Amino acid sequence: MKAGFYPKMAVSGMRKNGRLYTPYMITCILMVAMFYILHFLGFSDVMKGMAGGGTATDMVGMGAYIMAIFAAIFLFYTQSTLIKGRKKEFGLYSILGMNKSNIGKIIFWETAITGVFSIGFGLLTGIGLSKLAELGFTKLIAVPTRYEFSVSGISVITTLILFTIIFFFIYLNTVRQVRFANPIQLISAGKAGEKPPKANWAVGIIGLAVLGSGYAIALKIEQPISALMWFFVAVILIIVGTYLVLIAGSVILCKLLQKNKKYYYKTNHFVSVSSMAYRMKRNGASLASICILLTMILVTLSSTTALYTGEEQCLDARYPNEIGAFACKYGFDESLPSQGERLDKILLAAAEENGAVVTNNYTYFVYSISGYFENDRLEVNLNSLTDMAFIDYDKVAQIQFLDDDDYNRVFGHNVKVNPGEAVVGTAKKIAIGNEITIGDVSFKVSGRFDDAISEIDPIAAGAASPTIYMIVDDVETVARNFIQYVDYNGEPMLAWFWYCRFDTGLDDEGQIALAETLSEKVTEELKGKGFSNYYCESHEAERGDFVSTFGGLFFLGILLSIIFLVSCVVIIYYKQISEGFEDQARFGIMQKVGMNRDDIRKSINSQMLTVFMIPVILACIHLAVVLPIVDKLLMLFGLFNMPLLLACAGVCVLACGLFYAATYKLTSNAYYKIVS
Amino acid sequence: MSLLEVTGVKKVYKGRRGGASVEALKNVIFSVEKGEYVAIMGESGSGKTTLLNILAALDKATEGTVILDTMNLGTIKDSAIARFRRDNLGYVFQDFNLLDTFTLEDNIYLPLVLAGKKHQEMKERLDKLAPALGITDLLKKYPYEVSGGQKQRAAVARALITNPKIILADEPTGALDSKSSDELLSLFKKVNQMGQTILMVTHSTKAASHASRVMFIKDGIIFHQIYKGESTDRQMYQKISDTLTLLAQGGDK
Repeated sequence: MKAGFYPKMAVSGMRKNGRLYTPYMITCILMVAMFYILHFLGFSDVMKGMAGGGTATDMVGMGAYIMAIFAAIFLFYTQSTLIKGRKKEFGLYSILGMNKSNIGKIIFWETAITGVFSIGFGLLTGIGLSKLAELGFTKLIAVPTRYEFSVSGISVITTLILFTIIFFFIYLNTVRQVRFANPIQLISAGKAGEKPPKANWAVGIIGLAVLGSGYAIALKIEQPISALMWFFVAVILIIVGTYLVLIAGSVILCKLLQKNKKYYYKTNHFVSVSSMAYRMKRNGASLASICILLTMILVTLSSTTALYTGEEQCLDARYPNEIGAFACKYGFDESLPSQGERLDKILLAAAEENGAVVTNNYTYFVYSISGYFENDRLEVNLNSLTDMAFIDYDKVAQIQFLDDDDYNRVFGHNVKVNPGEAVVGTAKKIAIGNEITIGDVSFKVSGRFDDAISEIDPIAAGAASPTIYMIVDDVETVARNFIQYVDYNGEPMLAWFWYCRFDTGLDDEGQIALAETLSEKVTEELKGKGFSNYYCESHEAERGDFVSTFGGLFFLGILLSIIFLVSCVVIIYYKQISEGFEDQARFGIMQKVGMNRDDIRKSINSQMLTVFMIPVILACIHLAVVLPIVDKLLMLFGLFNMPLLLACAGVCVLACGLFYAATYKLTSNAYYKIVS
Repeated sequence: MSLLEVTGVKKVYKGRRGGASVEALKNVIFSVEKGEYVAIMGESGSGKTTLLNILAALDKATEGTVILDTMNLGTIKDSAIARFRRDNLGYVFQDFNLLDTFTLEDNIYLPLVLAGKKHQEMKERLDKLAPALGITDLLKKYPYEVSGGQKQRAAVARALITNPKIILADEPTGALDSKSSDELLSLFKKVNQMGQTILMVTHSTKAASHASRVMFIKDGIIFHQIYKGESTDRQMYQKISDTLTLLAQGGDK
């Protein structure tokens, strides 16, 4: 046969079916572009350099994986609808004398052309938009814009490989569909109608169980960081559960509705319930995708909006005073308290020299030791800590010993502690009995001061592992008890922490300049003395960092939401169009049997509304379940503001709801135009 | 007065932008009595489908009137037409036009559901109808699971279940094998004997030979008609073929 025959056949076949292929191609291109952008943002070096970008890029990276799975499922779905409309054509080819390998070649060329075309254009679109995304991003977080145009090689290659694999499997699937059918079957395929799905109770129940366990895990998680793995397990369970429930559950629901004769045999319900039941299997998958996408949109939008609007609160919580300094040294040393006093004097003198009026001065030191806290006992022995496999990270705790005299002097209280006793406080109000044991030393718990913890550390409640504050009679005597404990590197486990923070009355620039001066002083004083860490920072200097981190997250949240929304629209639109063509004949028959336009419109609305409301409602339930975890994650950033998060979530639900309603309106009009 | 009176019906399809107009029906005049079984024969393009569409209120005549049981089809408002069709007409199509999303039972219920009838009543009607049509065992099946003849019987049930004034059948045997065709035709006869008026459009001589009267349509007018009277199906078949031969040779009455 002449060279180029098959490619020509393929092109003309696709051109003739433009109505079907155009949306498919656009979808493919969008999928490729979206995956590239997500991968570019999630895995390329450009974003790695961003301050505090780790969380952001992790999020986007996860988005890229979900996008990949989603693209595979969706393109398979689209392709199978598409090939159904073309079976007649292939049947004709084989009647005209083509054998199956000839047809296989045509399919190969069609898939190859679609693949090359959409991967090519998709990558171009993706690369173009990725720059745009990056530009908007740098604008928002007010950092110098990078003008060079960057293409991430690894992202291009990953996109190429992923979509080549997807298209390869689509090709195999298409060949399978066409090969195992004789020409007559192919020719009558369009009319044959597929078997209506059976109600699959087993899958429905398993789906509910999976979804339920996902919910249970999500609700049970106390510490999102220590239980990060469980968090992902919950997310995956919820996703899988959503798919199972919507695929099987929706069929079951329709079958149940059909059994209810009174409900079923009503003009508005009759047609819509039966056609929903008929195509629920396919519907279920796309509804689940829409639902997952909506949930992702809602979660990302509401959390990043909350962070962005609560940025100042986070900053205040993390840096309660204008100037803050910190020093840390491992081991016990009698000279440390006097070292602290000297440092304090140096800093105050330097501050006043620079025109500061020092107020709200909180300067004190603590001895700290970490271990595994269980049954009112902190285990600091090495063996228990090296048995990492069995460690429950929620139980890793840090004890901070604070002298009662220091506590009273600095925070203005009047706490009296006897030797061998301790006043104990935790931000999370952990239950502790009458006695608390640290290593081999026991203390009688003579009181609690949980409510006053925020004076010491405003963000303690959000910390990944809890800190137990213990006010003791004489901190040095207590600390001596723990000198002998060393970790597996032979380093002492006891640590001396020195904290200093105060307000200055200086303007923003003055504060930043002062922090720099003080930082030099601290370094000058402590360098070479065996301190493991020391610094001095200012509220104002950190604002930039906060703005860039939260602004970046906010931007990514918006970007992801746009991408998800666009794919939602694509799914919905394509679903409507392809179903419109499917239903065209049906509504024609119904008109002949005596259904008028109003009835048709009502029936369509009833069907659409049900189909469209399911993912929205389920997405809202998902959001409600996940919000507590989101709240805890936000605490890590120092945002303790559930009402703000709820308000943001509410606004996002409203905004997405409006957008969704508009999409619904537009696409159902398109559908209506096709069928009538 | 007759059940159906067609007077001077003319249908012109206007060409777009001054294109040639086509006169599908010129001047059709006939009437159908209650309980009659009438067949309309004609070649492709003779205008019989156009006529049937006008009778079914799917299309409007350019001129002339169609009166079904004192209702003038031309004056029914658009909003009331669907209801009119539902309440008065039963339609049987060549390609069945069953909805593949419904079981046969639900397909048959469709016009009643549209009319807002209660399930109890629908079931009673179907229980009476199903044994006569031999579809009792098929009701729970979907169209793709049954044969063409069975589909057509379900379609007949759908047409009959509303107790229509008249059944309009458009080439009902067109997509059936000869055995199924015979079954369907005897079914029509049976239904007719129970008092149902039937108007069938066909170009199958055999189908037409079952009717009590056959009208021939050619070039948009009713050209000729013959009554079965006391003749057998076979004699009627002969009469129809003779007429068709005559028509084809261009002879006149």
